[in-house]
Amino acid sequence: MIRCSLAALLAAALLAAPPPAEAQATVPVRIRVIKGSRQGPPSFDPRLENQKRQLSALAYVRWELVDERSLELAQGKTQFFTLPGGDDVGVTLQERHGNAVTIEVALAARNTQSRLTVEKGQRIVHQVSPEKGGSAVFLTVLAWP
Amino acid sequence: MSDCTKIAPLLGARDHELTAAEAAALAAHLASCDRCRAIAADLAATEGMVREGLMARANARDFSTFADEVMAKVGRAERPGLFGWIGRHRAATALGTLIPVLAAVALLMYVRIEGGREPALFELSSEGEATTVLQTADGPVVLLAEDNGS
Repeated sequence: MIRCSLAALLAAALLAAPPPAEAQATVPVRIRVIKGSRQGPPSFDPRLENQKRQLSALAYVRWELVDERSLELAQGKTQFFTLPGGDDVGVTLQERHGNAVTIEVALAARNTQSRLTVEKGQRIVHQVSPEKGGSAVFLTVLAWP
Repeated sequence: MSDCTKIAPLLGARDHELTAAEAAALAAHLASCDRCRAIAADLAATEGMVREGLMARANARDFSTFADEVMAKVGRAERPGLFGWIGRHRAATALGTLIPVLAAVALLMYVRIEGGREPALFELSSEGEATTVLQTADGPVVLLAEDNGS
């Protein structure tokens, strides 16, 4: 009877252990395309309120939301977005370790790939177009929104 | 009340059970009363036989193993202290020891699985481009180099 109890306890302990992070292959993300401008009166799109602190590190005084999408990123598969200027940007989930993810942002027009690791609650802000006329476009990626 | 009635309770007394006065009164009465003297003689004989009989029974018994026999019946339940309690509650002791061990094993497995690798915070690759990265508390901000053509 004691042996059966021991075996049951051991099985429960093993089953209670969470599965390896690599086994969970998709991550929900919210991707935004936002535009920052140095010119004009200062204004801040109220839909970007939750990013205000992060964007205040930059010199742009006007911020507006251009596009927003919520989707599931599958590990290793690239999602493409078309920017206002016509360029494409690719977003790929590279790895996941518990509550941290590594995401690659690739700009074909600029021949640039950025691979960044962020934890849950952190957001990637990546400039995706060069500044022209005092304005630039950014892509923001937030995992587990 | 006759003297015999007064003396009767003293007839069966053993040695040292009477005071000096009572012993003297008994001796004086027995010297003059045949009936009480006969009763005292019967009582003395009976007590002697009982005493001898009990002693004979006790001497016939082997008491050398008495302590061992008693302890064998008492058994381990009489062991005092922590070890005695553990002996009486083996299953509970085993369970109480095993559960923390299993919990520690489960925690160790969780830490090894989740905390094994340390991911790099940032990697950047580009050709012909210089990029600036601002690390903020809310996450990284990546800036492209200024376009020479703009």
